[in-house]
Amino acid sequence: MSSLPARGVMQQVAAAIPMECRGEIIVVGSLAAAYHFFGSDPNAVITTKDVDAMLSPNALALRNAKIVAESLFEAGWTLREDAQWGKAGDRSTPEEELPILRLHPAGNTDWYLELAAAPPEGRAESKVIQRLSTNQGDFGLYSFRFLALAEEDPLRSEFGISYARPEMMALANLLHHPQIGPEVVRGSTDKRSNKDLGRALALAWLSTERDRDALETWHPRWRTALERRFPKEWRDLALRAGKGLRALLDDKHKLDLDQATRLCNLSLLRGRGLGAEALRATGRRLLVEALAPLESAARTMPGA
Amino acid sequence: MAFCIHLIPWIRRGSSQCNFKINLQLSFQCCIFTSVIEDTSPPTRHGYRPDFRFGNTLVEVKADLHSFRNFRAALLQLAYYLSDDTDDRGLLVLVNPRITEAALRNEWRLIERALHPAMVRRLTLAVRRQSGIIPIAGNLKPALSKRLLLDNVDRDARVQPNRAPHSSDAILLVLLNQWFLRKGPMTNQWLMRAVGCSYPTVAKALRRLQDVIQRFPDRRFQLWGFPTDEWNRIVANRERAHPTLHYADRSGQPRNAESLLRRASKSGRNDIAIGGVIAARHYHPDLDLRGTPRLDLTLHSPDGHADLSFIEGLDPALERVTDKEERATLAIHVLRRQTSLFVAAPKGLPWADPVATLLGLYDARLEAQAKEFLDHLVMGVG
Repeated sequence: MSSLPARGVMQQVAAAIPMECRGEIIVVGSLAAAYHFFGSDPNAVITTKDVDAMLSPNALALRNAKIVAESLFEAGWTLREDAQWGKAGDRSTPEEELPILRLHPAGNTDWYLELAAAPPEGRAESKVIQRLSTNQGDFGLYSFRFLALAEEDPLRSEFGISYARPEMMALANLLHHPQIGPEVVRGSTDKRSNKDLGRALALAWLSTERDRDALETWHPRWRTALERRFPKEWRDLALRAGKGLRALLDDKHKLDLDQATRLCNLSLLRGRGLGAEALRATGRRLLVEALAPLESAARTMPGA
Repeated sequence: MAFCIHLIPWIRRGSSQCNFKINLQLSFQCCIFTSVIEDTSPPTRHGYRPDFRFGNTLVEVKADLHSFRNFRAALLQLAYYLSDDTDDRGLLVLVNPRITEAALRNEWRLIERALHPAMVRRLTLAVRRQSGIIPIAGNLKPALSKRLLLDNVDRDARVQPNRAPHSSDAILLVLLNQWFLRKGPMTNQWLMRAVGCSYPTVAKALRRLQDVIQRFPDRRFQLWGFPTDEWNRIVANRERAHPTLHYADRSGQPRNAESLLRRASKSGRNDIAIGGVIAARHYHPDLDLRGTPRLDLTLHSPDGHADLSFIEGLDPALERVTDKEERATLAIHVLRRQTSLFVAAPKGLPWADPVATLLGLYDARLEAQAKEFLDHLVMGVG
C-alpha cells in the first residue's frame, strides 16, 4: 500500500485518459472518495495501491477501454507484475482466465489504474467479464452489478473526469454484502465484506464530518438511483440494503467490526484513530437516517 | 380478600376544619398486588438485590438497555441471586430496549447453552414497549404480565430517573415556580393536583416550610421568601428531585445543541420541553454564558412511563452514559409530577418551568450561571 496524493493522482489519471474518452470514465473507490473529501488539500494522501476507473456507459465501454488501454500503453504505462495475471491473454484464453487490465504509470510502480466497465443493463449476475482485445493482447473487462449506482449523477473533478458520489459507492457496497461472507481480500486474511461494509461506514463518517445531517440527504438519491437502475426490483433491493450492515453491527460480529475498523483506519479514516464504537455509532446513524427511510419508501405500495 | 380504607380529605369551603370521608372498600386483587409489589423488598445478596418481588418471582427491570453486555450482566446477576434459593423464579424485564426481540431470542439460545438447564427453567425474559409486555423466553404468567403492564414497571426500577421523587421536593419546586412566575397564592387542591399527591402530604410539606409560607384568610398560600436551606438541600440531592438521564455522542462527531433542538422540535411530542441553557436564556436573556454546551430537555412522565424513543430521532449516535465525568450532549430531565407547568412558546417546543431550568444548569455544572439565574429569578419577585 502506498500513500498517494489524492489530488495529484486524480490529475495524473485525467491527463492520461484520451480527451475523446474523458467524459465516459468515472473514477470509483478510494481515490474517488479521497478526492471528494480531501481533494482541496494538496497535502492530503490516500493509502491505496489501486485506482479504480469505470467506463460508462456499458454500450461504449469495450470501445473506450480499447482506446484508453492502447493510449496508456503508448504513453509507457506498463502491466502490473503478477505471477498469475501479469501477462496479456490471447484469443484462445477463456474469458474467465483473462487478466484484468492493471497498469502502472510510466516509471512509477506505487500504484496502478484498474479498468472496469459499467454493468450491462438487465443482467442479474453480480460480476460479468467481457473480453477486451487490444494491440497488446486480450484482457478481462469486468463489471460489478451494483456499480451501476456509480453512474448515477457522478460528480465532476476539476480535471475533467468524473468520480462517483460517496453515497452511491456506499449503497453499492451495502448491496454487495447482504451478509458477512467468508470471502477474503486477495493476499490477506481480511474479509471482503468487512472491508466493503467498513468502507460504507467510512464514507458515512466522512460525510457527517462535513455536515452532521448529510445522511438524511442520501435516501432520496438512493431511491431515485435504485428506481432508475433496477426498476423491477428496487423495492427488494431497498429492503435488503441494510442487512449486511445490521449484521456487522450485531454484537455477534464484534470481531468483524473490529476488522472493518482497522481497515478503515488504514485507508480513508487514516490518522483519525477511530474505534469500533465510533463506527458502530455511525452505523446507527446510517441505519436510522438513511436506510430506514429507504426501507419505508420501499414498503409503501404504489398508489398508497 | 382484604379491606382497604382510604381516607379522602374533604375541605368545606370557608371552613377551617378538614374532615375525612372514610371510604370502605372490599377488594380482592388491588390491595394484594399493591402490597406484593410495593412492600416486599428483596434482601441484598452479593451486593445486589432485584427491584421487587411478585409472589415467588423476583423481578429485575432494566430501562433503555442498549448492549448485550449489559443484558448479560443483568441476567447473570439475577441468576446468581436465584442460585441462593431453590424456590424463587427470576424475571428480567427490559423497558424499551434498543435490542430487537429477534436478537434477544437469539441471545437466549446462547444462554440456554451456557447456563445449567435447572437455572434456565427458572428464568424468564420479557420486553416492555409501548405496545405492551412481550414475552421473549421462559414462562411469563398472564397475571404477572398484566400486573407489570398496570403497575408501570419502570417506576419500580432502580434506575433513578424513573423513580418518583419525594413529594415534599416536588411540592417545594412547584411553590418556587409559582413564586418566581408571580402566579399568586394557590389552594391545597390546586397543589395536590399539580404534584399528584394527597392532602396530608401537602399539609406536612407546608408545615415544614412554615417560615417562608404566607397564608391568606381564604386559606390560600404562597411563598413569601426564598427558602435558602430547603433549596440548598434540593440542589445537593437534585438527582432525587430532578432525575436526569445523560446521553453522549459515540461517533466522534457530536451534533450541537441547536441541531438536536431542531430535531426535537420535529418529534411531534407534546411531553417534552426545552430546559437548561437555552431556556435560561429565554427567561434571562443577559445570562453570562457563551455557546450552548448541551441540550437539556424536560420529559413529562407523570405515570412513570418515560418514553425515550424520540432520542433516536435526535441522534442515533447518542448513548446513555452514567459516568458523571463523561461529557453529555443531551440531558433528559424526567418530571414526574402530575402537571408539567410547561410554558407555551409561540412555535416549537414549550419551555420547561424556571425551576426545572435552574436545576438543569446545576446538573450541567454551570454553578456560576445557575447562581446568576437564581438571583435574576429572586430579584424578579422582589
